[in-house]
Amino acid sequence: MARSLAGFAATVLLAVAASGCESSSQTTVRVLVRDINIREEGVDCAGTGAYTFFHNRAPFRVLDGEGATVADGRLPPGKAVRTFEEDLEVDRIPTYCEFAVPVSVPSRAGYQLVVDDQPAIPLTSDQGFLVAVVPS
Amino acid sequence: MRAVAALLAVVLCLAACDGAEPVRAGGAATLPGPVPSGLAARPAPPGTPGAPVFTGTLTDGTALAAADLWAGRPVVLLFFSSWCTTCAERQDALSELARAYRDRVVFVGVVTGDEPADLDAYLRAHKAEFPVVVDADGTVSRAYAVREPGAVAVVAKGGALLRGWPGGLDASTLDTRIRELLLA
Repeated sequence: MARSLAGFAATVLLAVAASGCESSSQTTVRVLVRDINIREEGVDCAGTGAYTFFHNRAPFRVLDGEGATVADGRLPPGKAVRTFEEDLEVDRIPTYCEFAVPVSVPSRAGYQLVVDDQPAIPLTSDQGFLVAVVPS
Repeated sequence: MRAVAALLAVVLCLAACDGAEPVRAGGAATLPGPVPSGLAARPAPPGTPGAPVFTGTLTDGTALAAADLWAGRPVVLLFFSSWCTTCAERQDALSELARAYRDRVVFVGVVTGDEPADLDAYLRAHKAEFPVVVDADGTVSRAYAVREPGAVAVVAKGGALLRGWPGGLDASTLDTRIRELLLA
């Protein structure tokens, strides 16, 4: 009985060790859709023109350099961000649409982002974020 | 006892196997009735450009020709998607407004980039009882220069394109605009 318990404990320890070999870290994927659309600053937004597939609930995957999926989920609504500081004295101004989504990814040399099965776009590490500018 | 069981089986089968397609929200059942007699539609200012003419299919596949609608009464076009959060915030009140104007001013939804099940759930959740065109490839949206949902356009009786609002409008403001622009 004692021997079988020891065997079980060893198996559990091995499983825990194996699962812990690859640690993941929290970061945020920031997708900046550079569509320069006229919107009110701060409103929810989606990509426009050729980038309409960037929108709330759109499925996404983060790939590593080998093309393996290391995180996935769905985009939140984008937020309209002003493109320059000058006050044009109107509510609707040129903006881009930023999506920010927290992910947990294992350490890799490079990452890519796939949204709604569209072609992958590179993610660049910048100040702790993984950033994609669209179009890049 | 056996007869009761047999009757129960028949009833259950009829309930489960009648084969009827569920009624799609935004489909043919939401098309307007006849134009009310004495409808006082405001004439469009001279020189107002015509609205882009389009045909499309509703959520249940029913064909719709927009020009047939605006031949007899004003039309409000609502551009939205089920994933558009701003649209969802405004939709209940817009649905109520559409009901209030039903047959006098026809509201038509134009939807892009959506999944049928998500759209159906959205329309039911927000009690949207107006026809909804599925603009799968975005042709109608582009014709009206709509870059993202929501947006609103109003068309006078006869087909003149009076105004468009990128970003959309809340129901109260749209009601005011309808009275100013569309109804005498």
